[in-house]
Amino acid sequence: MEASSPPAAVSAAPPDDDRIRSLDASIQAVWRIKLAGLSLFLLLPVLFYDLTFLFSPDPWLPFGVLSGTGLVVGTAFTLLWPRLRYRSWGFALWPEELYREHGVITHVRTVVPLRRIQHVDVSQDLLEREFALGRLVVHTAGSRSSDVVIPGLPLPEAERIRDEIKRFILEDPLLEDPV
Amino acid sequence: MPSSSPASDPDASASESPPDAAPPPSADAPPAADSSATLGTVREPQRLHPLTLLLRVGASLPALVIILLPTLQNPSSENALSVVLGLLYGLVALPAIVMQYLRFSYRITPQQIVIQKGVLNRKNRSIPIERVQNIQIEQNLFARLLGVAKVNIETAGSSGTEGSLEYVGVDAAHEIRQAVRSFQHRTAEAPAPDEDTDDPHRDTLYTMNLRRVLLSGAFRFSLFYLALIFSALELIDPELIVERVLRSEGRIEQVTDLMTAYPALAILGSVGTAVVLGWISGILVHVSRYYGFRLWLDDDKLRKRHGLFTVTEGTVPLGKVQALILRTNPLMRAFGWYGLEVQTVGTDVNEQGHRVIAPFVQYDDLLPLAQRIRSFDLPDQFRSVSPLTIRRRFFRYSVVLGLALAPLIYFWPVTWWHLGGVALPWWGLVLVPGLLGWAVLQYRHHGYKQRDDGLYVRRGVLSRHLWVLPTEKFHVFAATASLFQRRLGLKTLYVDTAGAASFAYPEVIDLPAGEADALLDTLYHRFKTLYRTRIEAETGDADTRLSPDERPRLPVEHTDAHVSAPSSPPTDES
Repeated sequence: MEASSPPAAVSAAPPDDDRIRSLDASIQAVWRIKLAGLSLFLLLPVLFYDLTFLFSPDPWLPFGVLSGTGLVVGTAFTLLWPRLRYRSWGFALWPEELYREHGVITHVRTVVPLRRIQHVDVSQDLLEREFALGRLVVHTAGSRSSDVVIPGLPLPEAERIRDEIKRFILEDPLLEDPV
Repeated sequence: MPSSSPASDPDASASESPPDAAPPPSADAPPAADSSATLGTVREPQRLHPLTLLLRVGASLPALVIILLPTLQNPSSENALSVVLGLLYGLVALPAIVMQYLRFSYRITPQQIVIQKGVLNRKNRSIPIERVQNIQIEQNLFARLLGVAKVNIETAGSSGTEGSLEYVGVDAAHEIRQAVRSFQHRTAEAPAPDEDTDDPHRDTLYTMNLRRVLLSGAFRFSLFYLALIFSALELIDPELIVERVLRSEGRIEQVTDLMTAYPALAILGSVGTAVVLGWISGILVHVSRYYGFRLWLDDDKLRKRHGLFTVTEGTVPLGKVQALILRTNPLMRAFGWYGLEVQTVGTDVNEQGHRVIAPFVQYDDLLPLAQRIRSFDLPDQFRSVSPLTIRRRFFRYSVVLGLALAPLIYFWPVTWWHLGGVALPWWGLVLVPGLLGWAVLQYRHHGYKQRDDGLYVRRGVLSRHLWVLPTEKFHVFAATASLFQRRLGLKTLYVDTAGAASFAYPEVIDLPAGEADALLDTLYHRFKTLYRTRIEAETGDADTRLSPDERPRLPVEHTDAHVSAPSSPPTDES
């Protein structure tokens, strides 16, 4: 804004890389698989409870109502929640800061100045590896939100962001501790 | 003391004062005056002080007592097993202690502190000298009697103590600190501190005499210590004491009769006892912790020393202070008393995750003291958050009250108290107007002020906090809006600073959404401007990294679309 405006020729198209980007869409699949596992895990005790009353002469509820409801709720949740979650996510790497917004129930907007970053990791769990996704973990010395995580980036992209951040930190002309 | 270049010739006089020499009898003996003579002694691998063995054996005795407890209580042949166990314990523990001692060594070189330890698992830890934030010397009662001290090495990166030497002689401890400091100063190409920096009378900022420590404890009421006392009482059978005191004079019957006749009296009595005990225990804990509190300025570091049984010495480099916190409660405030804490990275923090700078200080002394640590300008007026916060808080408190009362009402037996024809818990609803008042009070005591030099946030009715967050220490900026906040168009703003986790964070809760976003933008803009100015002052040029081609950016697939407009910050205020 203040200085070093690039030639006018390029200002026609808005710069691609300043917009807030969304995650890789395949992260929804990862979340879905995880949620499905969790729902099944929670459904098991309900099913077991239902089964114990299968032959009861005077059941509190007809057989299958409880576990059926659980199944429907679990399925709906598994299908819908990752979509909502994906929609709420956005991030951007700007010249001096990492920007992130996320949260379905509670919306959170976070600005992490790059010079405050202590170190950066890219991590993957088994599922994410299957989908070639990486998770960018930015560590700061903050007292509360000390780890800022951006999940669901294509691995090369995550690594490139990591390297950009690293370069910014290494080239910091101010010789002072980040804390 | 003009010793021109300490540590420049360390090996020449290495034999002058071996570190294992008998420690001086007193804890506050000055460190070796000629530090250059002794620096070499810590360069070679050193053992801990031999008296460590005695202290470690002493520390393991409680475990032995617990093992032998059955025999001690009832010495009969049936409990012989515990004696066998005790012997076994001795056979295992004592050699382990000796082995640990023999396998522990430390040395301090101009580059790093190296600690080697471990009997089965050998651990070799090196801590780079320039990363060392603080060397803390701690002495508990027994260590003081034996003239040894524990040395804690803190660094910025870890939240805990990076390494600790338990125990070395007192003068060896001061030597270590001196050595580390002179190495650090040499790397910074600054003149090494030749003076005896442990002199607490040089630039004293704040002291507490016994009267003030007692008063300070009296103003703080904590059930926390009470709980500790009660858990300790479990072990020593309090009934015995009560019986001895009361029954011997035939008073116990009177008391029990009274209690059964008036249950309300019994409840009042126990609550009263708890309050008094909590009060007294708070005073005792305070005295043992803050006895002889002394805070002084040593160059650019705050140093403090306090404690009755365990004397703790701490250092807070002024540049590492992340935030100032002024604390009080209504009672303390009525008499003009405040507490001053700072947020730093490292250990030696109180229950709140902060470092106590002055536990108890009058308002008139508070501001000058705080200004010495960090200059700031306390605003007279704070901006309030949205009044809608009253509604949210009232709603939340009512829900909590309802959830607490509902099961009580449902399960209340018919034979129990009924007042005015309804079960007693229904009367809990009388508290609802009180909740409204409480919400209003919370609103009135919550405010913020943004200035060029930082953000000021105050919050709390019973435990009142005022945070001073300097712009240059801002860390992460966040604005959050929960489901209910979104319905009312509110947001919570939070600026993180480096430090330990805490109970109370300097959040600005329930700002109007637009105001919160604008505030976040302004704060971040200030932060960025500050650092840009600094970089310009440092390099004589604007941030060279930020030329359009050099800017970090999201990788785009088509790299031929190379040039980009000067990217706008996320926080465009327009």
